[in-house]
Amino acid sequence: MKTFLKSLVAVLLVALPVAARAGTVTVKGSDTMVILGQRWAEEFMKKAPATKVQVTGGGSGTGLAALQNGTTDIAMSSREMKDAESKKLRARYNTTGEEIAVAKDGVTFYVNAGNPVTALTLEQLRGIYLGDITNWKEVGGPDAAIVVYSRENSSGTYVFVKDNVLDGEDYTSSAQTLPGTAAVVNAVAKEKHGIGYGGAAYAKGIKELNVKKGNEEIAPSADNIKTGKYPLSRNLYFYLRNKPASEVKAFIDFALSPEGQAVVTKVGYFPVK
Amino acid sequence: MRNTLLAILTLTAAPALAQQAEPPASDAPPDAPAAESQPAPAAPEEPSLDERMTNAEGKVTSLEEQNAETQTVLSALTKLKLSGYVQARYQYQESLDDTGAGGFSRFTVRRGRLKTTYTTDWAQMMLQIDAVPDTGVTVRDAEATFYVPGMKKKLSLTLGQMKWPFGFEAVQSSSDREIPERTRVVRAFLPDERDRGAKFSGEFLKGRMTIDVGVFDGDGLFNQGFIGSDNDKEKDIIGRAGFDLKWLSGGISGWYGHSLGRRPTDTYRVAYDRNRVALDAQLYLDVLPFGGTSIKAEYIKGNSYWRSSGGTKVEQLGVPASGWYGLVVQNVSLTNAVAVRYDYFDPENGQPNLETADGKPGSNNAVGTLAVALLHHFSENLKATLAYELPMTAAPGAAEDPHDNLLTFQLQARY
Repeated sequence: MKTFLKSLVAVLLVALPVAARAGTVTVKGSDTMVILGQRWAEEFMKKAPATKVQVTGGGSGTGLAALQNGTTDIAMSSREMKDAESKKLRARYNTTGEEIAVAKDGVTFYVNAGNPVTALTLEQLRGIYLGDITNWKEVGGPDAAIVVYSRENSSGTYVFVKDNVLDGEDYTSSAQTLPGTAAVVNAVAKEKHGIGYGGAAYAKGIKELNVKKGNEEIAPSADNIKTGKYPLSRNLYFYLRNKPASEVKAFIDFALSPEGQAVVTKVGYFPVK
Repeated sequence: MRNTLLAILTLTAAPALAQQAEPPASDAPPDAPAAESQPAPAAPEEPSLDERMTNAEGKVTSLEEQNAETQTVLSALTKLKLSGYVQARYQYQESLDDTGAGGFSRFTVRRGRLKTTYTTDWAQMMLQIDAVPDTGVTVRDAEATFYVPGMKKKLSLTLGQMKWPFGFEAVQSSSDREIPERTRVVRAFLPDERDRGAKFSGEFLKGRMTIDVGVFDGDGLFNQGFIGSDNDKEKDIIGRAGFDLKWLSGGISGWYGHSLGRRPTDTYRVAYDRNRVALDAQLYLDVLPFGGTSIKAEYIKGNSYWRSSGGTKVEQLGVPASGWYGLVVQNVSLTNAVAVRYDYFDPENGQPNLETADGKPGSNNAVGTLAVALLHHFSENLKATLAYELPMTAAPGAAEDPHDNLLTFQLQARY
C-alpha cells in the first residue's frame, strides 16, 4: 500500500505543470477588443520589454471559456460574464473572478451610405433582426429587401444585441453570419440594402444609425455613450480568475492609466476614467 | 496452323512498327504550307464585362444559398450539446474489525455519464444516462422544460425525472465535487438525488435570487418494489429559495410530504410525515496569493429518510434524523486544490448512542466523517482525486470505532 501511495504521489508531482509562465501575459477574447488589446500590448511592451503580452481574439465566449480552462490570464469580453460562466469559475477555482471595466463602447447599427434611413427605434431594429420586418419600405426606406448581417454566436456583441435588442430571442435564420465586426462593415459598405452592427471603432466608411426614442434621435456619439444616454452603450471588460498580480497587474494598471486610456480614445472607443 | 498465323502477323506488323520508331529523314519534304491545310477554328470571343458580372453574381448567389443552407444546419447543431464523464476508481478499505471481516481492495467504475441537451428559445430536452458495470445502463435524468416566452429563460417549467430542488450538495454535479461521494446526511435524506415530478424555476433580481419549487412522487429512483412509479397517491412538495451575491451564496430548502407504509408495529399502512428543512451557505474568498478559497456548509433536519440495508434502501418511516457538513477547498495554483470536509449524521435524533451485546457501536449511532482530498487538474478534461476518509462512529462504553477508513483514487475524464 505504501509503495502504491508513493508511486501515486510521484506521478502527480511529475504531472504538475509549470505554475507560471514568467514574463508572459496571455489575453484572449472579444473580437471587438482585439485592436484595443493589441495597441495596449504594443505600448506596454515598449515600457516593459521583459514582458511579452500575447493578444488573440475568438469572441468573448471563447475568452471566458479559456479563462475557465486556465489557458489565458485575461479574458477580454464585450459583455458581462454570465451566471453559468461565473458558476464554472467557482466550481473549478473557488473564486468569483475579477471584473475590470477597461473601456466603454456603443453598439452601433450600420447601413449603407446610400440608404436614406438615418434612425430606427429599438422595436424596429428588433423587428428586422427577428425577421418580422423584411423590407426597407416598412421603416421609411426604399422598396427593397433588407439584407441582415450578424456576428457569430461566440461574439459578445452578438450576445449583447440578442439580450438588449432581441429580448433574448433568436436571430432571424436569414441573417448572414460574418466573422468579426470589420467583415460586417465591409459587407454593409458593399451591399446597399444591408444592415449590420458592431463596435463604434470600426464604423468608418458607412453610415451609423441613430436610435429613435420617442421623438428624440440619439446618436452613438462619444458623449451619449459615455453618459449612457445612448441606449446601446456598454462596458468593455477584462476578466481574471483572481485579483491581478505581477505582470498581469502591471499590464492592467497600464491599460487603466491616462496613457492607456488615451489608447482607448485613439482606437475609437471611450475611456472609463 | 497457329505458327503460320503468328508468322504472318509478325511479318505484317514489323514494317509498321519500324516506321513509327524511326526518326523522319533529313531530306524529307517540309510540311505542307498552311494555306493548303484546313482553316484553323476562330478563337472564342472574350466574354463581355456584363457576362462576367452576371456569371460572378450567379456564383455569389449560389454561394449565398449554400451558406444559408449550411447555417440552417449548423444553427440546429449549436442547440445540441453532448457531454459526459467517467469516474474510474481504485479503493482500499481496512478490514472492519480484528476478525478480518469486511474491507476491500478494488477497481470500480463509479459513474459513466452521457448527457444530451437540446435547447431552443422555448424548450429544452435533457437526457442523461449512466452506464456502469454493476448496474448497467440506467436513466438518471429525463427532463422536458418549457421556457416562458419573453423571459430570457429566467422562468421555466420542467416535467420528468430530475434532481430534487433541495439543498446545495444534492444538486451539485458529481463531476464538480471535490470529495468523491456526497455526505452521509445527504445520502440518507436524498439518495440518488432524483425523482419524477414537475418543477417551476424562476430567477429574479438579475440572478441574485432563485426559486425552485416542485411536486414530486417523493420516493426517488430506487423506490423498492415500485421502481419507476409512486408507492402511493401522496405527493411531496419540495423547494429551495436561494440567493447569490457571487462571493456569498446560499439558500433555505423545505420538503413537505407523506409516505404511506407500515412499520413492524403497524397493522395497516399509515401515512407518515416525510418532512425536511435545510440551510446551506457557500463563501468564496480571494485572499491568499496562490489561489481561491471556498467554505461551504449545510445543515439538514427531517424525518423518514432512507437507510441501506444489504443491497436495498429502506425508508425509516417517521424516524427523525439530522446532520451537517463543513467543507473548505483551497486552490493551490491553477491546477491543484486541497479539500477538507467534516460531515456528521445522527440517524436517530434524541436517542442515545448504544453499545451492542457483542461490544460494537449500535447501528443507529451517530457518525462523524473527516475527509481529506488532493485534486489535480491535468487539463480541462482530466482530473485526479486522491481522498482519504475517516468515519468515526460514536462508540460508547467498551465498543470500538470500526476500522472502515477508506482510500479512494479517482480519475475523472470528461468532455
